Amino acid sequence: MRENRSMAIRYILEEIRHPKAYLTLIAVGVLYIVVLSVKNPYWGDILTMTFLLGALSLSWNILGGYGGQFSLGHAGFFGIGAYTSTLLLIHYQISPWIGMLLGGGLAALIGGLIFYPCFRLKGIFFCLATLAFQEVVKIAAVHFRGLTGGAMGISIPFKAGLANMMFQGKTGYMLIALSFMIIIALVTLVMARSRFGYKLVALREDEDATETLGISTSRCKLLAAMISAFFAGCLGTFYAHYSTLVDPYSIFDMMLSVEFVIFAILGGVGTVLGPILGAFALVPIDALMRGYLGQGQQGVSFFAYGMLLTGVVIFLPQGILSWISSPLNRLMEALSGEKTRPEPRAGKIEPQAERAEKPSRSMQPTSILEIAGLDKSFGGLKVIQCLDFHVREGEIVGLIGPNGAGKTTCFNLITGFEEADAGRILFKGEDITGLKPPNRISKKGVARTFQIVKPLAGLTVTENILAGAAERAGSIHEARMKSRNIVDLLGLWEFRDIKASSLTLGGRKRLELAKALATEPTLLLLDEVMAGLNPTEVEQAIQLIKKISNRGITLLVIEHVMKAVMSLADRVVVIHHGQKICEGRPQDVIRDPGVIEAYLGKGYQYAEG
Amino acid sequence: MIGQVLVNGILLGGIYALVSLGLTLIFGVMRIINFAHGQFLMLAMYATYWLFQLYGMDPYVSILIVVPLMLVIGMGAYRMIIQPIIDASEMTHVFATLGLNLSLQGIALFLWQGDFRGIRTSYSSLVIHLGPLYINIPRLIIFLCAIAAILALFLFLKKTYTGKAIRASAQKRVAAQLMGVNLSKIYMIAFGIGIAIVGLTGAVLMPIYEVFPSVGSLFALVAFVVVVLGGLGNLGGALVGGIVIGVVESVSGVFIAPALKEGVYFIIFVIILLLRPTGIFGKAVIR
Amino acid sequence: MLKVEAIDVYYGDLQAVQGASFQVGKDQIVSLVGSNGAGKTTTLNAISGLHRPRSGTIRFGEINIERRGSHQIVELGIIQVPEGRMLFPEMTVMENLEMGCYSLRARKNFKNSLQEVIRLFPILAERKEQLAGTLSGGEQQMLAIGRGLMAQPKVLMLDEPSLGLAPLVVEEIIETIKTIRTRGTAILLVEQNVFHALSISDRAYILENGEIVMEGKGEELLKNEKVRKAYLGL
Repeated sequence: MRENRSMAIRYILEEIRHPKAYLTLIAVGVLYIVVLSVKNPYWGDILTMTFLLGALSLSWNILGGYGGQFSLGHAGFFGIGAYTSTLLLIHYQISPWIGMLLGGGLAALIGGLIFYPCFRLKGIFFCLATLAFQEVVKIAAVHFRGLTGGAMGISIPFKAGLANMMFQGKTGYMLIALSFMIIIALVTLVMARSRFGYKLVALREDEDATETLGISTSRCKLLAAMISAFFAGCLGTFYAHYSTLVDPYSIFDMMLSVEFVIFAILGGVGTVLGPILGAFALVPIDALMRGYLGQGQQGVSFFAYGMLLTGVVIFLPQGILSWISSPLNRLMEALSGEKTRPEPRAGKIEPQAERAEKPSRSMQPTSILEIAGLDKSFGGLKVIQCLDFHVREGEIVGLIGPNGAGKTTCFNLITGFEEADAGRILFKGEDITGLKPPNRISKKGVARTFQIVKPLAGLTVTENILAGAAERAGSIHEARMKSRNIVDLLGLWEFRDIKASSLTLGGRKRLELAKALATEPTLLLLDEVMAGLNPTEVEQAIQLIKKISNRGITLLVIEHVMKAVMSLADRVVVIHHGQKICEGRPQDVIRDPGVIEAYLGKGYQYAEG
Repeated sequence: MIGQVLVNGILLGGIYALVSLGLTLIFGVMRIINFAHGQFLMLAMYATYWLFQLYGMDPYVSILIVVPLMLVIGMGAYRMIIQPIIDASEMTHVFATLGLNLSLQGIALFLWQGDFRGIRTSYSSLVIHLGPLYINIPRLIIFLCAIAAILALFLFLKKTYTGKAIRASAQKRVAAQLMGVNLSKIYMIAFGIGIAIVGLTGAVLMPIYEVFPSVGSLFALVAFVVVVLGGLGNLGGALVGGIVIGVVESVSGVFIAPALKEGVYFIIFVIILLLRPTGIFGKAVIR
Repeated sequence: MLKVEAIDVYYGDLQAVQGASFQVGKDQIVSLVGSNGAGKTTTLNAISGLHRPRSGTIRFGEINIERRGSHQIVELGIIQVPEGRMLFPEMTVMENLEMGCYSLRARKNFKNSLQEVIRLFPILAERKEQLAGTLSGGEQQMLAIGRGLMAQPKVLMLDEPSLGLAPLVVEEIIETIKTIRTRGTAILLVEQNVFHALSISDRAYILENGEIVMEGKGEELLKNEKVRKAYLGL
């Protein structure tokens, strides 16, 4: 543990010397100086709102940008925080600073309670649910006027002083708002580099693939929601004291919720700078327009935001940050005098040489996987019937059979993506039939690849593998070390910083394997790894799989490429129409008349003569 | 007393059903939830209003202008905004249409400010008596329009080649293309029809509702609830869902509290989403 | 009639088909065989206009069609019966057949086409008003082929018509395909069931990882040792 701490300190010191870090410190310093020098209340107000909305956008971003769960009702948490601390202040004279924490806490609690079941909803349904949430909170605030002052809201009597979170002039407010923004940005940064952060962005990219890595996606989403709601709630308290009025129609405003989503989208979701950039770009302009246009301003404002949102979503989905990130990177490189990113290179990936070494097999290999009497139907169609087979420790078992025979369904049943109608699946003697969600099975030591590979597209190769290692590792550094080992094992070093979406098919297949290996599985299920690879790549893949087997991992492999099956499998199981029709050594199985018939059709035998 | 509450609820339901019909049609065909749905309603209402103000045209007569107008606007909106992103992720659709929503509201705010505008016709408060119950004529007309629209839509989808092409595209997109269906043209037509129905709704709403720039949002939220309840893409479900919500709102307004009546159906909405996201009647693809 | 020359088809950065060339003539049955993922369906989709090839040409008679939209390809008379049948499940048998006749060219001959299809597949007449999703596997395949025939195809492309069907039904389907050929339609058959495909084909091409690795007369390939290797790794 002490090692980890000193490593962490060394890591931080190393990072600070990086231009990104000191430039940021300078920028922050400049902001504070600006804040301290602005005396004009008009500008003071604009800056305060900019920082506040930027901070709100950052809080939203934790769940929305990093977690991929787009909430359109975040103003609900903002308001809950505001009302909570205000009521505590007025009725119980509780200090706003404590009230803020309590308000944030309540928002986090409510956020967790309500959003957790909503996470089951995909995409747009989740959005609608969050909208409904905000509306319900608004209606409740209007209705229970005994508590909340109804539509008129509650006003806070003005009393200057830090303890009251209220100030003469705008400087105090600006400082607090700016500090909030910085704090939330820091928290986001730390989170992004933690194991939790990698798991979160992984689930954003592909939930199924992330479940396969043993990560409980629902728990991650819950934590993100609670952190996000907490900060929004705290900011609500600040706003209450800034405007001295808390009323439902201003605070639970749908336009407000949408506004800070727009900042994040404009600037770049899923980044620390994005929401800040978006807020800085839009809030001052909006406020200035109010000055010039007066009456028609609101309309122009809505129109502009609307066009911007549609435009960004269609033409620049990664936001402004993606525009400026290359020139920014070049600036960094120029300043630090070193390359910050390796040049992306297209082409084949060469595996590293490694000594072939088989650990001695135990005299009596234990059964790792046992399938008994498995049945599965889809609609009226029976895809798997009475399937039985087993896999022993250390073996490489091939699962073959014509298209539509039920092989991938079998994998889905084993890994918890589908539920069997009947039968049992035993892993290391433990009954895992019907265990859900899939991450629970993965956690026990079962890893898989998908027939259509599921890279975490927006993440780099390293980040992909980190997501796999994150679950089992004790700390982020352990995770990084393990990832590094896997990167080396699979010959991915040159590609470590390249986005998964830019890899060739061969690269993606390698990455798929790497992710699975990062979870340190006992049993690895490979689904048609060879499909689409050219003969050289097939050979490389065969060598790789042998290496993996030598490390003691048991393999169950679905394959159509016979050459691979012949060179790798200790034993082959043939499935046709969802049933096992043959089993044995590869060379025996392929001569079996039943197997030939299944693959080539009945007449073939006779054609042979 | 309870009878009147129910009647009011059912008539309200007719309104909600008509508002939701276009939304559910569009989702059923091309899997897009149009977050700007309410703003098209707002535009139709303004159009009806101005036709009345400037030319003295009765709202029911202006249907003849507003509906084709909205059909064209809908097809145009599809071509310009939806078609470029039709294959993108759901979230892209959400935000692109949300952006459209804001833009349209912005235009309305700028041109006509936030004032509430209504029209008063000779029959706006006309009422017929059915025993102890009284039924407001314009609302009855809306209810009948809802039924007529659903029937017309059913016939169109069932009997015409274009209608069948729309259903086919909704059920199996790739297969429809292999039959020679021009997918973007069919989607454009379906979207246009959805918005045309919204046009009809706007015209028949003007005798009894006032229009203002954010009127669309109110109706749209309810439309989402109705559509999820009735099953996305399920036309009959839109009618039943609308009536259910109308009755729930009417009943809770009287027996719980007027301010909470919307809260009730939002809570129902969330419960339905969690328990049975495909709606009470299931995610029927357009039959 | 249909000539494909050196097409390359990509999905994003991934190359699915490389340099494929083959042709199908009138009254011919030509087969594309290969295992899963070999690129067969991708090739058909490229011809059908669902997916544009990055390079290469596809000629129908004298016209280049590789850049045409899918609805235009159908108007020309190149019809695909897709893998897994892709019937419209909530539409009746009759409605499915009507959709088959959607193209303007075919609509004119609706009555005649219907008669021919019923003659080929009498069972469809019995099940006219039944929803397509409720038919058995074999009946669905017949409906899928019938739907394709309603379009009066000059070239009929069948993607794995035997998939998931009982052997007896497969025999029936194969016979039907031969009958269709006698009516002058060119047939492009994609299959995993190598024996059946090769035994009725005038010409066959073997696809592996997106490339054509072997071609020849159907009967000759049947007797070929290398073909058995491609499937059983002997």
